[in-house]
Amino acid sequence: MVSKFKYGGYAGQQLRIDLTKSQIKKVPQSEEDCVLYLGGRGLDAKILYDELPVDADPLGPDNILCFSAGPIVGLLGPSTGRMNVAARSPLTGIYGNANVGGFLGAELKMAGYDDLIIKGRAEKPSYIYIQDDVVEIRDASHLWGKNVIETTRILQEDLGREFIVAAIGQAAENGVLYANIMFDYWEAAGRTGLGAVMASKNIKAIAVKGNGELTVHDPKKYMEVVTDAWRAVEEDPGFQTGEHPALGTPVVLMLGNVQGWLPVRNFLENYFEYAENVSAEEFRDRFSTKKTPIPGGRACLSCPNRCKRYGVIESGKYSGTKGGLEFEAVGGFGPKCGVGDLEAVFHAAMLANDYGMDAISLSSTIAFLMEMVERGILSKDDLDGVDLRFGNADAMIEAIHKIARVQGKLGQLGALGVERAAKAIGKGADRWVTTVKGLETISTDPRVSTGFGFGYAVASRGSDHLRAHPVIEMVTAYRKVAEELFGSAEACMLAKYGGRAKMVYWHENMAAITDSIGSCRFMHASYYALYPIPELMAKYGLRRGKEVHSIKYHEWISAATGIPLTYEDLIVTGERIVTLERALNTRFGIRREHDTLPRRFLEEAVVNGPYKGAVFKKEALEALLNEYYDLRGWDKKTGLIKESTLKRLGMLDVLEDLKQRGLLAGE
Amino acid sequence: MLACSFATVGVFSFNKARIKVVKFEEDGVDIPMPCFHCERAPCLAVCPTRALYRDKETNAVVLDQNKCIGCRLCMIACPFGAIHYDGINKIVYKCDLCFGDPACVKFCETKAIIYDTPERLAQIRYENKAIEVTSAIKEKTLAMR
Repeated sequence: MVSKFKYGGYAGQQLRIDLTKSQIKKVPQSEEDCVLYLGGRGLDAKILYDELPVDADPLGPDNILCFSAGPIVGLLGPSTGRMNVAARSPLTGIYGNANVGGFLGAELKMAGYDDLIIKGRAEKPSYIYIQDDVVEIRDASHLWGKNVIETTRILQEDLGREFIVAAIGQAAENGVLYANIMFDYWEAAGRTGLGAVMASKNIKAIAVKGNGELTVHDPKKYMEVVTDAWRAVEEDPGFQTGEHPALGTPVVLMLGNVQGWLPVRNFLENYFEYAENVSAEEFRDRFSTKKTPIPGGRACLSCPNRCKRYGVIESGKYSGTKGGLEFEAVGGFGPKCGVGDLEAVFHAAMLANDYGMDAISLSSTIAFLMEMVERGILSKDDLDGVDLRFGNADAMIEAIHKIARVQGKLGQLGALGVERAAKAIGKGADRWVTTVKGLETISTDPRVSTGFGFGYAVASRGSDHLRAHPVIEMVTAYRKVAEELFGSAEACMLAKYGGRAKMVYWHENMAAITDSIGSCRFMHASYYALYPIPELMAKYGLRRGKEVHSIKYHEWISAATGIPLTYEDLIVTGERIVTLERALNTRFGIRREHDTLPRRFLEEAVVNGPYKGAVFKKEALEALLNEYYDLRGWDKKTGLIKESTLKRLGMLDVLEDLKQRGLLAGE
Repeated sequence: MLACSFATVGVFSFNKARIKVVKFEEDGVDIPMPCFHCERAPCLAVCPTRALYRDKETNAVVLDQNKCIGCRLCMIACPFGAIHYDGINKIVYKCDLCFGDPACVKFCETKAIIYDTPERLAQIRYENKAIEVTSAIKEKTLAMR
């Protein structure tokens, strides 16, 4: 099954399923869209832009659920197992999407499809079976009501271990608005409630096995570029510390506690007295070393980073809990809820995974309800007698069960997420929310990590770090490089604002690229192995070794696909993808006034830690927004996109559409 | 697997890889399953056309594609399932250790797969064990002081 598509790397087909009509179509991939938007996140946004009715009910049959793997997925490059899932979010009401690792993207491509596009609603609970040309909508009534792990296990037992499964758990079935889709047991397409969308379509799972093959445009050049990229990662100073494989992503928890950006008790405090109890080292020593057959982290496809630290609880109350603990889960169920008991935190995180709920939104919602109880806005009676106070681990675990089952008052409130729960509570509860555009904020305090914070304000899916992920502001070793790239000596200083607009702009563009081609965030913003950063480090004499290796995505994509790209083109492509998402969001009513941070971060000062007293200054935010809109070519007054920008980016169909809707900004 | 299929047939494919990795994702384990190039290889014994033969230099069991008639007897004989069938060319395919320079080893980031002689492998094992024992003794002596 050799791909006849014009460009290499791609499978060359889209798989389109209309569940209402029980119709399965295989259509050729769009050449034009691949050139403009590459694949993955970019292509998902384009499909939604072209086909999603603006008034589609997120949980109705009109919503479109897209899964897209990028052009370099499954092609041996470092960290190339990722795919993107998108739909209109039931949680936020705007553009929703999530990026996920694992193996499903590669299997889908090997089966012959870059994208899986699901419309309509199945009559009864079903799962989608894909093995190469054979695509079937199969009965899943035996799976409905089961959680992620059991569903995945049953399907693998039925179909074969070689099938990769993405499944939803009970939370999605019950309508928890931030329910996620879990891939291959442990990988979450976590944010914005895409699991709830999948459940609304009556789809329990997707099982894929691909026996085909993928080819690249220029194999010789491709191997050169990819080998260089592997070496760039291996030589990255962050990678060389070996912290991610040894400790997993929770390694940053202690750093956050020292640097003062770790949110504690729903962002009321910035120093966690029990941080050591829930640290990555503690996790390794208690649940991981020698208890897993092979010590070390687990990896997604082709990934040198292997950031999943797998662990098992072997005795006690939570005996049998197993899986990989991530930073956002430990930060959320630990410090954010004030819980210093690692077993409870680990168990909570694995419950979230198994029920299929986004650990970030879930832990934030519980932390928010805890604050409401502490403030006396909610009483024990309002929450079915559960004593949901900061630090009460048992109450937190009970809340998770109740929310996943949408049981009682607590379950019904918790299933809504922070912003909607605040509205439902009334009594001025919305004064304490920590959401942006309806999405809960991650475990990094925007008042201290101002680059992250500005990123939350402008991120296309709401408060989230992964649109920009400007880790560089936390790593002083990159000071000179950051100064040159982002034009400010304050770029690597926390709680300052210099360079943040450019920093977020650049990181967002690169993130749009990696999400679209199927590579991982860690390769370009955590490790800074991508061009031109290793080169700049060498220029300033901050790098050992004579030869400089770097990940050159532009050359990599060109060699794989045959689409010619320079570094400058790459930045423009990133801009185009970000602008397309903005265009989608303007149709959903997003304007400048939504690009902001909640009151807590703008008005309430940090109470402890090294940045005590810090707020995200309102005037600084406004100034950054002005600078950022100028960089993006969006209108400073309204936040709408300018006509000239769409012309410059070659997005003429979007221009025409926005013009007709009256959503275009003048010059 | 991707390195394998690219090195041997120039495409990226899990299916065409000669080495397989069985994933036990729920328990957090992956087991690579290569051809073991057995000393008394059943596949060699049953091959009716002598398409399978022992490479003198690498000691690997390799396939002469021109001689293979696609009878698949070797697949039946192999206790490890290390021989695979190519439905398009109607012959089998298997690991040939890339004639002494295995692509899988080059791309194995964690060195879970290494290419060496059995003697050397044993040596690595007993040396590592000895290091463990030494440090255990050291610890004990320190504790006794």
